[in-house]
Amino acid sequence: MSLIDAFRHRLHVWLNPRAHERELQEELEFHLGLERMQQTHAAHGTLSELDARALAKRQLGNITYYSEETRRAAGLGLLDDIRSDVRFAVRSFRRAPGFAAIAVLTLAVGIGANTAIFSAVDALLLRPLPFPEPERLVAVNITAPARDGRPATDDIGWTYAKFDMLREIQPIFSHVTAYFSTQFTIRIEDDAFREGGEFIDSRYLQTLGVTPAIGRNFLAEEDYVGGPRITLLSDAFWHRMFNADPGVLGRTMSVDGSEYTIVGVLPDGFQGISGEASFWIPAGAPPSASWPLATTRDPWNHINHVVARLQPGVSMERAKVIMAQLGAQVDARFPTPANLNGLHLGATLRPLDALRVDPRIRRMLFVLVGAVGLVLLIACANVANLLVVRASGRRPEIAVRLAMGAGRGRLVRQLLVESLVLALAGGAASLVIAWCGVKALGSLEVASVLRYQLILGLGNEATSGINLDMTAFAFTAMLAIVTGLAFGLVPALQSTQFSVTNALKGEGAPSIGGLRRLTSRNALVVVEIALAIILLAGSGLMVRTLGELVAVRPGFDAEHVMTMRVNRAADWARDSIAQFYDAAIDRLSALPGVTSVGIADCAPLSRGCYDRTELVRVDQRGTGAPVRTMVGAHWITPDWPATMRVPLLAGRMLTRADGRDARRVILINESAARQLWPGESPIDRPVVLNIDHFKQDTAYVAGVIGDVRFGSIDSLPQPDVYVSYFQSTFTYRMMLFVRTRGDPEALAQAARLAIREFAPGFPVYDVASMQDRVGATTAQSRFIASLLGAFAGLALLLAAIGTYGVISFGVAQRTKEIGVRVALGATRGHVVRLIVGQGVTLAVIGIVCGLAGAIAATRVMRSLLYGVEPTDPATLFGIVGMLIVAVLAASWIPARRAAGVPAVQALRGR
Amino acid sequence: MPSVPGTPKSELLRGTLEMLILQTLTAQPLHGYAIAQQIQRLSNDALTVEQGSLYPALERLLQQGWVTAKWGESPTGRRARYYTITASGRRRLGEEIEGFDSALLAINRVLRRV
Repeated sequence: MSLIDAFRHRLHVWLNPRAHERELQEELEFHLGLERMQQTHAAHGTLSELDARALAKRQLGNITYYSEETRRAAGLGLLDDIRSDVRFAVRSFRRAPGFAAIAVLTLAVGIGANTAIFSAVDALLLRPLPFPEPERLVAVNITAPARDGRPATDDIGWTYAKFDMLREIQPIFSHVTAYFSTQFTIRIEDDAFREGGEFIDSRYLQTLGVTPAIGRNFLAEEDYVGGPRITLLSDAFWHRMFNADPGVLGRTMSVDGSEYTIVGVLPDGFQGISGEASFWIPAGAPPSASWPLATTRDPWNHINHVVARLQPGVSMERAKVIMAQLGAQVDARFPTPANLNGLHLGATLRPLDALRVDPRIRRMLFVLVGAVGLVLLIACANVANLLVVRASGRRPEIAVRLAMGAGRGRLVRQLLVESLVLALAGGAASLVIAWCGVKALGSLEVASVLRYQLILGLGNEATSGINLDMTAFAFTAMLAIVTGLAFGLVPALQSTQFSVTNALKGEGAPSIGGLRRLTSRNALVVVEIALAIILLAGSGLMVRTLGELVAVRPGFDAEHVMTMRVNRAADWARDSIAQFYDAAIDRLSALPGVTSVGIADCAPLSRGCYDRTELVRVDQRGTGAPVRTMVGAHWITPDWPATMRVPLLAGRMLTRADGRDARRVILINESAARQLWPGESPIDRPVVLNIDHFKQDTAYVAGVIGDVRFGSIDSLPQPDVYVSYFQSTFTYRMMLFVRTRGDPEALAQAARLAIREFAPGFPVYDVASMQDRVGATTAQSRFIASLLGAFAGLALLLAAIGTYGVISFGVAQRTKEIGVRVALGATRGHVVRLIVGQGVTLAVIGIVCGLAGAIAATRVMRSLLYGVEPTDPATLFGIVGMLIVAVLAASWIPARRAAGVPAVQALRGR
Repeated sequence: MPSVPGTPKSELLRGTLEMLILQTLTAQPLHGYAIAQQIQRLSNDALTVEQGSLYPALERLLQQGWVTAKWGESPTGRRARYYTITASGRRRLGEEIEGFDSALLAINRVLRRV
């Protein structure tokens, strides 16, 4: 096999060029020895040793030449050349350490920032999902057309009945499964705590391609309503709760008050599709106290997520077409009243991969990638500038080389090697910066920023996966090489292209000239300024957004409030839950420093936590169809508005006297009052709500309180109604709000202990001060604003350095001209104006280009902005001002120097 | 460069040296010096390669995988590098000879000798 022989030989040569060299020498020695013997023998001993040696050498020919030839044939010639180029480059950089240091540092920052951001993108978007053949996994959702002013949606879950039908009629999936993720109360001895878990079926793990590390999966014959109470554990949960005891199989665990038998442990790292599961139980397991089977099996509860694995050979496009047909069939089998209005539900699917990160995060990363890319471009432009300046200082050297017959290609290669050496040094140094960046990205705040937004939680692991791995190293190396070529090529080509004679005579450099003579360098500065403007615009807009967000008044006072979730223990009767509310308020109010305690079902600013319900006005008998509207529904104890300092605007607050047997009363917020009773008083108006008893009993508006933002900080308040826990049977969600005079964090432990004392079995979890919750909602904006701000600051600095470099080089070149001007009567002021004017001209061109680019580029940021338009004039005006100041400063220094040169010295030339 | 003595300007055709080396190796593995001697002897001293040019040529053959090299002991007891022709080297030699023959024939036709 010639290929193998050849490959083996080449490998041998390339891996060990020195050995190859030694072998050749030994071989030639051997040859000479034999030839010498031959010569001596032929001359019958008349030849002296010395003569024999000379004759032998003559026979062999030019040994040096043939050694070279052999090395060349072995492919080592290029290696030799490059090695000597590298050596030359390193030596010349050592002679100009300032230049080398600035270039390497600039590149290190540019490349390092890119590597850090790349690591995040790789972990969150690029790395395939950790399942076999992840590209065949799809999420299947029900779609609804737009109606009643609500936009069309394509992310609705499935009812169990619809899922059952889909499973039977679908022809495109090899596996299809449904799961539902929620939190459960786990009890181990006296301790009760909340853990994320998933209701699944036996096909769930098969669909994903995961097999239990210990024990077994659920069996198909266990998939029935009322099936066995069994559970699978996550590896982390098994370690945490069971000390990784391999004998755990067959033991039981209390989930929501029922005992479940452990049948298996899943592989390390697997946290379910929700990313938050510690254990899994069959969806058909018998009802438990807090999750009646009806919840997952309810015919109108579209809460099951469906995930499927496409059959091999079924394309995504074809699957989508078939899924649309299947959706129509499912809709036909399960009619809804809306069908009468021609509104039909459909179904669609998308790669599971597309769901692992919120589109906003995707957009954010995209913006950051763009931003670091620009930083790198600016860094390249700066280094290219340095190289051009350096090259013009080396004109005589290059001219001599050209004159002595060096090929242009050879010189270009040598200059390129120089820039590659710089780039690789920069790349190596960049790893330090990337390491710091990655540490920062993996820090808690960012992880929570990202986690907060993850849809399926598949990225949860990805955030911890942000690290410098081989992929990142490869990326850095590639980036270093590409940048080396990018900033090196133009200067290399340019500096080897001129008349040798002129250069040798020293006429190559222009002695007079303004902007036109320094075109390529000026162009680089203009590009830098334009790119800096784009980055400044992006960061300016994010800073404005952050300012707007922080200025938002969410409608409550978050200071000094501690919040924590609790859940009713399975053995606490639902009917006597009021005793828990009273006890909780009493006990917590008695804690030192506590001024007020309230309970609500959700914290403000917690996105989709709260329920929505339909409100019907019943105070307009006989005036046509009653007004119906969707409102947010909130359960509170009477003291909650006071605890949160939500102001009462009209009527009265709820009281403890508004109990189960009293007249039903509600609070509404300002938005609801304005929308439902514009210009009228809403107090004592009757309404019907679509929640438990309120469906039958008319409720009356007791009072109006201020708007509270329950969704996100950047979404406007919606019409809301507040119902007292004491008038409702609702017990699913409770959050305690404790206002204290002191530090809310100090209260957490005392509150936890108090609850355990009077209500053991009520798990306390999700403990955080209200201020932290508010902070979390702006974390994402803060994160991107600070990163973009850092990049923009860097860009501004680099652009200023670039401008300074070009202007001061121009001044050096024009010393003679300036001397003439001064001799002819130009004042210091004239000279300064001349030089600074040059910088300002560059800046203006750069700013105009940059603004055009910024207006185009910042449009992609629209979804990340709040309260500010991408073309906000104040922001753009501000950043232009900043840039002009930077450029003025950068050209002022060389201008002052130029003006300070005495005319005589300048005329003599340097 | 390989050359024919007495006709200093007429060089061996490009690639001929490689062909000659492969041919000498068909009988047995040889070291460099032996290859040079062999070529000289078989051509009745008509073809004298400048011995040094052998080594770049051998390196080229190694790079192509037509010969392999192995260090062994020479009859004089010294370490010597022995070259062995590979199967693909033999194939290559056949092609070369064929090409050479047809080129020779063509040249002879032009010179109207056949």
